[in-house]
Amino acid sequence: MNKTRMLLFRLGTLAILVAIAAVMMVVGRGHTVYLDNKKLEYQGQEYKTPYKVVVLVKGEQVAKLYDRERGSATNVGQNFEMTLEITQEKGGDETVATYQIKLPYNMDGVIINLPGYLAGLPEEAYLTEFVSTAPEEPEAEEEIPESDEFEMGEF
Amino acid sequence: MKEKNMGKKLLSLLQANSVPVTFVLICAVCIPLSGLSVSYLLNEIVTRMGRNIFLILALLIPIMSGMGLNFGMTLGAMAGEIALIFVSDWQIWGIPGVVLAMILSIPISVLLGAFCGKILNMAKGREMITSYIISFFTNGLYQLVVLYMMGPIIPIKHFSIKLPRGYGIRNTVSLLNMRQCLDNLLAIKVGGVKIPVLTFLIIALLCLFIVWFRRTKLGQDMRAVGQDMNVARDAGINVERTRIISIVMSTVLAGFGMVIYLQNMGNIATYSSHSQIGMFCIAALLVGGASVEKASIGNVFLGVVLFHTMFIVAPKAGAAITGDSMIGEYFRVFVSYAVITVALIMYETKKRKVKSQMAQQLAQEQEAENE
Repeated sequence: MNKTRMLLFRLGTLAILVAIAAVMMVVGRGHTVYLDNKKLEYQGQEYKTPYKVVVLVKGEQVAKLYDRERGSATNVGQNFEMTLEITQEKGGDETVATYQIKLPYNMDGVIINLPGYLAGLPEEAYLTEFVSTAPEEPEAEEEIPESDEFEMGEF
Repeated sequence: MKEKNMGKKLLSLLQANSVPVTFVLICAVCIPLSGLSVSYLLNEIVTRMGRNIFLILALLIPIMSGMGLNFGMTLGAMAGEIALIFVSDWQIWGIPGVVLAMILSIPISVLLGAFCGKILNMAKGREMITSYIISFFTNGLYQLVVLYMMGPIIPIKHFSIKLPRGYGIRNTVSLLNMRQCLDNLLAIKVGGVKIPVLTFLIIALLCLFIVWFRRTKLGQDMRAVGQDMNVARDAGINVERTRIISIVMSTVLAGFGMVIYLQNMGNIATYSSHSQIGMFCIAALLVGGASVEKASIGNVFLGVVLFHTMFIVAPKAGAAITGDSMIGEYFRVFVSYAVITVALIMYETKKRKVKSQMAQQLAQEQEAENE
């Protein structure tokens, strides 16, 4: 193999690896999706919650939400598909529909307000980033390990 | 006469396979004493086969090129861990996360492998002890990067990965979102035993690659270098380059193996996962009947089965015999190190024996010439 061919082969391999890595970064990006069944006020208008929403993702029920409840699901990739079984009034009929939502790549946790989403509001109204507000407990400093031990761990 | 020959053959066969035979005996005694069910034992062995075989196969190429047991495979393991830390921070889940970690580990493994190979070229004939010490040295570098540079210099976003002080990586990094993703995909259950088909397919591919690689020009060069460096050099083979390539390949494969190993475990023990990996992989390979200068794919499989059977049953058997499971723990630690020690002693004894035989032959020839 001459030098040019060798160089081309190497560059080609590198390009393929970079391309695979890029694809993996997109298709494997994980998100936690929080689904809120909470009333929403947007531009002076109030969007009320349905009586009950059952959320199914990939055929599995992930949440059954009444008023002011939150459920969550995990999703790999940016296309989030969910099936909602919505009961508007207590004892009323159930409507079933499947929805697809494009999740922003840069958000680990995404909150989707269901009444806002079902009302057809723009993304900025129903989609927000999840930021943990739980009070952080003071954590004990982790010990910095020494690693020249001859211990037997799980193998 | 025939019976005598048969007896001699059997004795030499037993001598040649003394380590695997000993382990078969140990397992045969310990399995019934442990009281573990057959399905539990099989499940554990199959899981451990999927977890460890790739890592152990990484040791075959340096043995082929005469560089002995590559204790420097730890370097590849570190590369795999660093790649997994990044993937975990970037929140890439499942199989894409595993693939990305493998790709990310390649440049780090190549750099570390080339560095290790260059040093081993300066220490020909003392490769094993040198690679062992290199792994300690590189562990220091790894700690510097992971404890002090990750955070302030190398961006790490998630606080669940960082130490509470704001920089450095925690003792344990969770891989929950990719835990056993390779093992569970295409997995089948046979008689209550879970077979991780995809992991075994990947292992089979690596075995095929090794078989194919041995027949390539580079593979033949490595074997020639392994047999006699001077003859190989005279034949026009670039010995130093071939040796570096073999270490680089071993390190890259070890990086992949570590990713497979850790996805099975489901978490990274950041500062200790890699530290003993080389030792146990080498012990398993030797238990399978390999030596410092000769190892095959069969040795890898046999070694994993025997070594890990001993690993699983020893604590329970120890508890049954002495009433203290720690005895079994000590026993398996003792056996791991002992098998490496015995293999190294046998290698050195054999080498000296061959040397003295050659010297005797030379002396006889000279005597005959003088007469």
